Amino acid sequence: MSQLVFLVPLFPLIGFLITGLGRNYLSKTATGYIASGSILGAFIVSCLLFSQVYGSGSGQVFTLFHFIQTEGFSIPFAFQVDQLSSLFLLIITGIGFLIHVYSTSYMHEEDAHHFARFFAYMNLFVFSMLLLVLGANYVIMFIGWEGVGLCSYLLIGYWFKNGDYNYAAKKAFIMNRIGDLGFLLAVFWMLAKLGTATYGEVFSQVATLSTFDITAITMLLFVGAMGKSAQIPLYTWLPDAMAGPTPVSALIHAATMVTAGIYMIARSNVLYTLAPFSQGFVAMIGLATAIFAATIALRQNDIKKVLAYSTVSQLGYMFLGLGVGAYTGAVFHVMTHAFFKALLFLGAGSVIHALHHEQDIRKMGGLKKQLPITHITFLLGCIAIAGIPPFSGFFSKDEILMATYAHQPWMYFIAMGGALMTAFYMFRLYSLTFLGSYRGHTDAAHPIHESPLSMTFPLMVLAVLSVVGGFIGIPAVFAENAHWLEHFLAPVFQPSNELVQHTHLDHATEYLLMGISTVLVLIMILLAVKLFGKDDVDVKKDDTGIKKWMANKWYIDELYQAVIIQPLHIFSVLLKNLVEKNIIDGAVNGVGRLVHYGARQFRLIQSGQVGNYLLFMILSIVVFILIWFNDATILRALNNIF
Amino acid sequence: MNAIIVSAVFGVLMMFASFLVNNKNVYRYLAIIGLSVLLLANILETYAIWSIKFDSFLQLSFERFGLFFNSIAIAATLFYVLLSGKDIVRVGNYSAEYFVLIFFILCGVSLITSYNSLLMLFLGIEIISIPLYILTGSDKKNLKSNEAALKYFLMGAFSTGLMLMGIALSYGAVGNFGLEGRGVVAFGGSMRVSFLEVAGLLLLFISMSFKASAAPFHFWTPDVYEGAPSVFTSFMATIVKATVFIGMIKLLEARTGIFGPTWQIILPLMIVLTLAIGNITAVFQQSVKRMLAYSSIAQAGFMLFALWSANDMGREGILLYSVAYTLATVGIFAVLVKMKDYTFDGFNGLAAKQPLVAASVAVFVLSLAGIPLTAGFFAKYFMLASAIKSGAGVWLLVVAVVFAAVSVYYYFRLIQAMYFKEGEAEMFEQPTNSFKGMLAIFAVLLIVLGIAPSLLFNYLYF
Repeated sequence: MSQLVFLVPLFPLIGFLITGLGRNYLSKTATGYIASGSILGAFIVSCLLFSQVYGSGSGQVFTLFHFIQTEGFSIPFAFQVDQLSSLFLLIITGIGFLIHVYSTSYMHEEDAHHFARFFAYMNLFVFSMLLLVLGANYVIMFIGWEGVGLCSYLLIGYWFKNGDYNYAAKKAFIMNRIGDLGFLLAVFWMLAKLGTATYGEVFSQVATLSTFDITAITMLLFVGAMGKSAQIPLYTWLPDAMAGPTPVSALIHAATMVTAGIYMIARSNVLYTLAPFSQGFVAMIGLATAIFAATIALRQNDIKKVLAYSTVSQLGYMFLGLGVGAYTGAVFHVMTHAFFKALLFLGAGSVIHALHHEQDIRKMGGLKKQLPITHITFLLGCIAIAGIPPFSGFFSKDEILMATYAHQPWMYFIAMGGALMTAFYMFRLYSLTFLGSYRGHTDAAHPIHESPLSMTFPLMVLAVLSVVGGFIGIPAVFAENAHWLEHFLAPVFQPSNELVQHTHLDHATEYLLMGISTVLVLIMILLAVKLFGKDDVDVKKDDTGIKKWMANKWYIDELYQAVIIQPLHIFSVLLKNLVEKNIIDGAVNGVGRLVHYGARQFRLIQSGQVGNYLLFMILSIVVFILIWFNDATILRALNNIF
Repeated sequence: MNAIIVSAVFGVLMMFASFLVNNKNVYRYLAIIGLSVLLLANILETYAIWSIKFDSFLQLSFERFGLFFNSIAIAATLFYVLLSGKDIVRVGNYSAEYFVLIFFILCGVSLITSYNSLLMLFLGIEIISIPLYILTGSDKKNLKSNEAALKYFLMGAFSTGLMLMGIALSYGAVGNFGLEGRGVVAFGGSMRVSFLEVAGLLLLFISMSFKASAAPFHFWTPDVYEGAPSVFTSFMATIVKATVFIGMIKLLEARTGIFGPTWQIILPLMIVLTLAIGNITAVFQQSVKRMLAYSSIAQAGFMLFALWSANDMGREGILLYSVAYTLATVGIFAVLVKMKDYTFDGFNGLAAKQPLVAASVAVFVLSLAGIPLTAGFFAKYFMLASAIKSGAGVWLLVVAVVFAAVSVYYYFRLIQAMYFKEGEAEMFEQPTNSFKGMLAIFAVLLIVLGIAPSLLFNYLYF
């Protein structure tokens, strides 16, 4: 059965080829069926693989062929199916399938060949993501890593006639490339020191490396994660990436691609456990991102921007979890976050669809009557992300927060503050969108109506998952040995857990912290609903003071513009005008002129006179004989010169 | 020995054919049949299935390397006649004789690939040279052709003199002509290399460099190549030149030590001079034919690396180089012969009129320039890699690569003219389908060898 692992990425690849090459011939219906069907096929195989891994309790590596083979090292094209990758397979193909189904309605206004182009990119994305997760070494992971970056670029710039969207796409690509450079350097470092990039070999040999090497490798890997998973300082591309169609935001920029960094670090947990400095750095960056993005989300008015900053913030929590050693918690949060964030994005898409591409929440309000299914599911998603028990977000976030408290209490309190902000901005968003009265303009020709079943069905499935998804990870405080996920993933994180003994909180403290946080979250929710759920909420007034800074995202984009982009620009203009035009062009043209001049002179020797030719030959022979007579002297002189 | 005898026999047969039949097409078909039989005979000997044997008194020795090169040369000639046969019979009134001379040249080629004594080498070189003088002047009514033939003959005679002088000195040193007997001799009680031997081999090397058109003995090349009828330029610039290199390798491969430090000075000097003069002068040419003449000098510069490396890789490399260079050059010349205007401008807009011909020429040019995915790339690669193996200085390789880059300029001018310039590239006649098909086969072969050069070598050593 597991020999079928190659089918998992193969299905989306075939789907990509068919929809991509046949985009001018296929009808929209056919495209939708092929694209969704290929993901469904991958999902079914993934389920089989998962059940097998679950049944046997062990992972396996399948080598398909030799990818790179040199004297120093060999890199097989191999897939690793174990607990971690099979779990991610389920998330990617499962949610991917739902989003594909959703997209068949959402993208229906597009022309047939653009419609097919969209699904071709989506299938290619799923293929790359599966490659990333399945790869049994860092090189295969990197292929997927680059592939998802490319697809992200293509999909953000899907409406390529809009210049701003193209700019956003380029920004995402370049930011990701900066991160990729770190990843690449880490892989090179690994290959140079260990001669292998295969997970199993790296993890078993890593202890032979010096602390400096491990720290450098892990820090560089984390630079890659910063780019892909939108952490400080490389996070600014993700909010701009909302230029893409909403299903793209749900699939790539919330549920799957951005969690690649978390997957990578969870996969490399042994390395990070051996590099305490890097791990601490990951925790700090995660915490800072979580809180920083949350403050920005408080004052955003674009429905997708709020969700985007919320995603950045949640990713920060996941890195915090990785940083404090709660690997299971981080992966758990990846999963629950995939459920509720995909739900929220698709819900937002449903709202945008109903309002004919209106994204400003100041022009919404009171939509709960017109969009009942969207409303209910969106509310469930909000509760889940806010962390109210027993919704899924509560369990996963709680696990990370508890581990943080055990690690460093002060970090816990900051993280808790971020969680409260999360509850506040999510319910601000919810209230402004669904409660109160409608503030937009009404159009009799296009009444607001609920989305079709192909869009609401994925919402319902995801809503159910968001509600019950947390039960696979019930903490020990409620019931001993009820944390199914921890047992399932234990083999993956076992080496790390052997190296470091995590302190466990006593049950009283844990109950206390849980109780306080739940009460505070509820208070924040009530506050947000009270403030923004009114019929006459004032959305017009300008933000002042610190609120203005938050609304303008702390002017980080402007800061980057001034500190990095402008100086680079000036430097490149300088290079162009000074170095390029004078030195490089001068040298190149000079060589050209020299060759041309030489050509003219050499040509003159070719006089056409046989007598001259013979004379030259005789002279050459004489020179040769002279060289022969003085060969030792000449050779010594030449060796001194060169 | 098959190749030597069969080629000579067919040469004589063709001579009689010219009395008996008066139909140019018959000559052409006879030549094609003769070359096929010759190729078959040589292959039979290569695989030790059937061969004519008689005692040559150690004057000749047949090894796989030489026999394999025979096959390459004969197959290349066969392709050449298939591609340009109609143009060969069109040069003058004595069509059968041209094929006769080509057969005799192949006889000389087979001698050079199998000589075991300096006398046989001399014989081979002369058997090649004299028919070439005639072929150069075969366009009797054309003054340029006559002038070229006379120049070639005068300078060729001079070089023959040098060669005989060298052989005589070398004979004087050790008292025999045998290839094995060269080198260290007992001399006044101690074992050392005779002075006469060094002088003799140096003169031999110089006269063979003349035949291979390596600088500074290349002066005849542009004039002769330009003056000779284009079809014959194609033949002498490729198959004959490659043969001379095989002869040089056989002569010097195991004996460069005789020269001592001199070798380490004069060979790099010649390589650099040949590359520089060939490439830089080619840049300035307006005539494609003359550009190809200089380019053939430049290519000789690369082939000289095989002499430097003197190892198995160099031997394999020179075979690949011969194939890549011969296919590409014969192909370009075959198209050139059909053009009304030999300048670069004469090729303007060829791609629009003859897409397949232009595409094939583009492949030939890319291969000559040594662009990857063509055989020319691996040919150059093998040359340089084998030299590295033998401890050549990196600076020498850098020079070679820089000049290969210069060569891109004049080679790509042809592509530019064909594809990017507007114009009426006029031909004497519309190329036939079989002509286009042959060209395409050449191009495909170049690409196949560019992807898997080992296809060639797998038949060399097994």
